[in-house]
Amino acid sequence: MVDSRPRRRSDVSVRDVEGDTVVLDRAAERIHRLNSTAGFIWQRCDGRRTVGDIAEELAGAFDVAPGAANEAVVAAIRQLDELGLLDHTLG
Amino acid sequence: MQILTLSVLDRGIRVGCQEPRSLALVSAAYGPMRGDLVETSLDYVVGRDIAPAAFFVKRVGRELRTAADDATFLGLLDEEVVVELQKLRPDLYFIHAAVLERADAAVMLVAQSGGGKSTLCWALLHHGFRYLSDELGPVDLQTVHVYPFPRALALKTEPPVAYPLPPSTVRTSRTRHVTEADIPGGIIRGRTRISAIFFLRYDAQAPAPSVRRLTAGEAAARLYENALNPLAHAGDGLDGAIRIVSHACCYALTTADLSATCALLTGTLERSL
Repeated sequence: MVDSRPRRRSDVSVRDVEGDTVVLDRAAERIHRLNSTAGFIWQRCDGRRTVGDIAEELAGAFDVAPGAANEAVVAAIRQLDELGLLDHTLG
Repeated sequence: MQILTLSVLDRGIRVGCQEPRSLALVSAAYGPMRGDLVETSLDYVVGRDIAPAAFFVKRVGRELRTAADDATFLGLLDEEVVVELQKLRPDLYFIHAAVLERADAAVMLVAQSGGGKSTLCWALLHHGFRYLSDELGPVDLQTVHVYPFPRALALKTEPPVAYPLPPSTVRTSRTRHVTEADIPGGIIRGRTRISAIFFLRYDAQAPAPSVRRLTAGEAAARLYENALNPLAHAGDGLDGAIRIVSHACCYALTTADLSATCALLTGTLERSL
């Protein structure tokens, strides 16, 4: 999992709203609000960064322990994937 | 044929009623919108269909639509008017909401159909609020003001005994319409600045109502889900929803006992204003 390179969908509309990320998925007719942590992670799902890279950035930005950051990123990416917001399908 | 002329959102609607029952129903439901026509934007003829219990709605130049009973008839006319007004005023952002005024500012109650908007609206009218709409909040995105859509307040169920309906309420097979004269506090005729938005959820099991302040992002997502014409606006309507919630205090309100819910909402507003 830490080596996978998730990619956020590019065919959705995204707005930053006072620390939240609002994602409009017209294809699925759904709208999502991501909190600051989930938004931070989702914005970094660019298909180049690994899950480990994102966890490292999260740990630096939010001043959390590396292990906790890794768990948070893995959980968030699973959830983003379940919501259909990633192109990358997790194995 | 009796002609009713209505004025709403700066547009004129003409409704020709062919017989007394349809005239009585349309007068009761749309009485608060009666006004002089500058120009007719929508032109309807309504009346009884051939079948004894059926009604029809016909927009001039369009196909006739029929309704099996009086409640369906008013619902059909409502649907026609709301859809056509969205086409006539694509500049406005239409939200499925009840709207009330207090202290010169508008309060929106947002919920899907059956979410308790009209019942809470009716109750709040007994606590110093004034009426703009129980169904539709058309918002001017430039000024973030909401227009009145003062169709008679319509309830699908009988309200609790603390908020009884007046004897002159017009009743159909499934709905109850409170006429203009019986709206406590009266009706607001002008555009009003939006100050607060409550997203309603009814919980029959909740021992008491509760309220929670929403972030702008969460409120924008919830508002968008209740917008009727977001795609008529830039950015698929997302920017419109964000603009509206950025100008208001937004809350998630779980409703329970109606009097307690009114007290909670009123107290929340007083603290926020």
